[in-house]
Amino acid sequence: MSLQLTGVGYRYAGATAAALLDIDLLLGPGEVVGVAGASESGKTTLCLVAAGLAPRTVGGQIRGTILLDGEDVDAWPMHRLSARIGIGFQNPATQLSQVAGTVFEEVAFGPMNLGVPRNEVVSHTWAALETLRIENLAERDPFRLSGGQQQLVAMAGLLAMRPEHLVLDEPTAQLDPEGTRLVGDAIARLAAEGASILITEQKTDLLAAIAARVIVLDGGRIARAGTADDVLADPGLAELGVAPPAMHRLRRAAADAGVAPGTLGSLDG
Amino acid sequence: MAGGAGLTSAPPLDRGIPDFLERPGPSPVHRLNPLTKATLATVTAVAAVALGGLVGPVVLVLVAVILPAAAAGVLGRLIRTSLLLALPIAVSAFLVNLFFFPDGRTVLVEVGPITATAEGFGFALEILARILAISGAVTLFYLTTRPAALVIDLERRGVSPRVGFVANASVQTVPAMVERAAQITAAQRARGLDTEGSVWRRIRGIVPIVGPVILGSIAEVEERTMALEARGFTRPGRRTLLWTPSDTTFERILRWGLVAALVGLIAVRVTGVLR
Amino acid sequence: MADLRVERLVHVYRESGVRALDGIDLEIRAGERVALVGQNGSGKTTLVRHLNGLLRPTEGRVLVDGHDAGSMTVAQLAARIGLVFQDPDRQIFAGSVRAEVEFGPRNLGRSGAELSAAVADALAATGLEGETATNPYDLGGSRRKLLALASVLAMRTPVLVLDEPTTGQDARGVERVRAVIEAAAAAGRTVVAISHDMRFVAEAFERVVVMRGGRVVLDGSPSDVFAEASWDALRSTYLEPPLASRIGGRLGLGSTPTDAALIARLREGAEGPAS
Repeated sequence: MSLQLTGVGYRYAGATAAALLDIDLLLGPGEVVGVAGASESGKTTLCLVAAGLAPRTVGGQIRGTILLDGEDVDAWPMHRLSARIGIGFQNPATQLSQVAGTVFEEVAFGPMNLGVPRNEVVSHTWAALETLRIENLAERDPFRLSGGQQQLVAMAGLLAMRPEHLVLDEPTAQLDPEGTRLVGDAIARLAAEGASILITEQKTDLLAAIAARVIVLDGGRIARAGTADDVLADPGLAELGVAPPAMHRLRRAAADAGVAPGTLGSLDG
Repeated sequence: MAGGAGLTSAPPLDRGIPDFLERPGPSPVHRLNPLTKATLATVTAVAAVALGGLVGPVVLVLVAVILPAAAAGVLGRLIRTSLLLALPIAVSAFLVNLFFFPDGRTVLVEVGPITATAEGFGFALEILARILAISGAVTLFYLTTRPAALVIDLERRGVSPRVGFVANASVQTVPAMVERAAQITAAQRARGLDTEGSVWRRIRGIVPIVGPVILGSIAEVEERTMALEARGFTRPGRRTLLWTPSDTTFERILRWGLVAALVGLIAVRVTGVLR
Repeated sequence: MADLRVERLVHVYRESGVRALDGIDLEIRAGERVALVGQNGSGKTTLVRHLNGLLRPTEGRVLVDGHDAGSMTVAQLAARIGLVFQDPDRQIFAGSVRAEVEFGPRNLGRSGAELSAAVADALAATGLEGETATNPYDLGGSRRKLLALASVLAMRTPVLVLDEPTTGQDARGVERVRAVIEAAAAAGRTVVAISHDMRFVAEAFERVVVMRGGRVVLDGSPSDVFAEASWDALRSTYLEPPLASRIGGRLGLGSTPTDAALIARLREGAEGPAS
């Protein structure tokens, strides 16, 4: 259950400059790797490349190698990859299948496509809905939900596919704090079951809570990489357009004011 | 899973297929097989064009659209939606034919250089009847059929889900566009766009509303395609179906009957027996 | 300058029957900076859409400078209340950044030097002054959102209403938004914003209104709303006070809604006896 990118570069069709350069990244089994960075730093492109959609669906030119559980996926068609790697986009409205009249069918869409037996489709769908506490929406029309609700439905649709590898592009952008917490818990639980997960987020507090390692992108390159603790405590984070997590920011402000950070205690929760 | 699941949730294993998926439709029209309804809609639309004139399409609309809609209890919504759907084409087609009908002789009104003729009016009415028959037939299908039903039914008959998907997605696009346009209109009104003032002001206001509707839809097409691929939609082989629409021998005969009637009608029109 | 009064406001959505607002009383004085917080679906967006007439009350009324908003059109209200929507893609339509920002002030009848100055100020405030000729679709998500903000700022309305201005923004964008709010307040404009980011709320606003199920459950300064005494009420809406508040509470330092407040209290404790 590993996903490895070595020396990966990518350029969109018609673009003069590369969107990604020299990306080396290893996602081990059960590992959550966070991706931070300013807007336009390459986070979304990295998601498309890691999930195989760029260049397969998007076009453009790719360099370097991507190994899925040790196998080179270069020649794989998209449907073969999609059975192994799930991807969630920022805008939940575009992820609706358009052929589901109810949230239940929407969430079941992925496993149905994969040909999972009917009773398992049903149980996986219920489990995904329950994990995100949206069972009460099961009969609703997915088109008539708020942005936040659609984001939870889209996330449930990915969970129901039981992916071994999952790529998530700002999955909590439209969510309130409670929704963010539920999605964070769901990601942590999926990783605990062995999935490898790549997640981009502006909410570094969420990355601090669930990611073991974090990379920071700047101009399409990896500017920082390391354990979540080290990278998120880096004093240069703000210059890269990334807001440090609340605890790190508070500790630094305390140190700057001459107050021993230890007095703050270890209140991370 | 740790305890303390949601407030209303039962243990996960106790839940089977949700009953609302297999619940029969509220009226006999709703309960018809989706292919039967799609056949009815197509035959009605094509027959309205093939019949021509005014009486044919009007009778057809009464029998094949208004009557079933009333039986299904969706007559009000059908009239609203199909008029809305037909409005842009109907208005322009009506005006063009009213004023510019080539063989118009009996002058009704003269407005500057253009004249409305009785012949033009008659022909415009005929065109209107056909457009309304088509939009009514499509709307009836849409209002009495669950979104996925036709896709699933075609799939069960061995048709690629992609074909059904395209048919379904294009129908679904209409309410999505209406919703999007409503949201964009609200945002532009908040920026002082006057949609309550004079006709000229309203016409000027179309650009800032139509612009984002179209630009947004185009931008979303690529993302939708990617999302479908990522969710395994293009995988070869059979998909698992959660439920299947019912079908009966009667309906099968009805469908073939409708198609045969249509073929007969077209044959008659082509050979010119009715003329 | 404008003050806003919301009296016994109830809103029931006609299509769904959902009672989104269930009797809101709220008075916002000219020049105040007010944050609206609450879960998704608590009625925040519905409330702000009443301020500029996009939604009309089912019961109760909204007063702008003492005038009933019900007697004004949205276009009239737009001159006083500038509302920035959450999704920039539901409003951007122009071919260039400049044309997009000019749209609002032009609708309000501005032209010439007045228009140029308003547009230049709005672009400078959002850091887009170097992008006047850029096609908005070539900007990244963060800057498109700032463009939507600039396009309303340029209308120079006495009241600025922002629906989730920081979602989807990177750290630089959030700082921009904060600077815009502070500059607007310094110029005497009223700012009302919806946000899920409690730390941002505590630092950039002087008043916090907490909503749940279409009602106001807490209303006060960040110091009051995030004080320990309010934590239970806050948590009943699934909101957590900012980290600085939680640490201040744990250390018995009283209410410390911001990092700066917490550190100041800690320094007092280190230098002299705490009160």
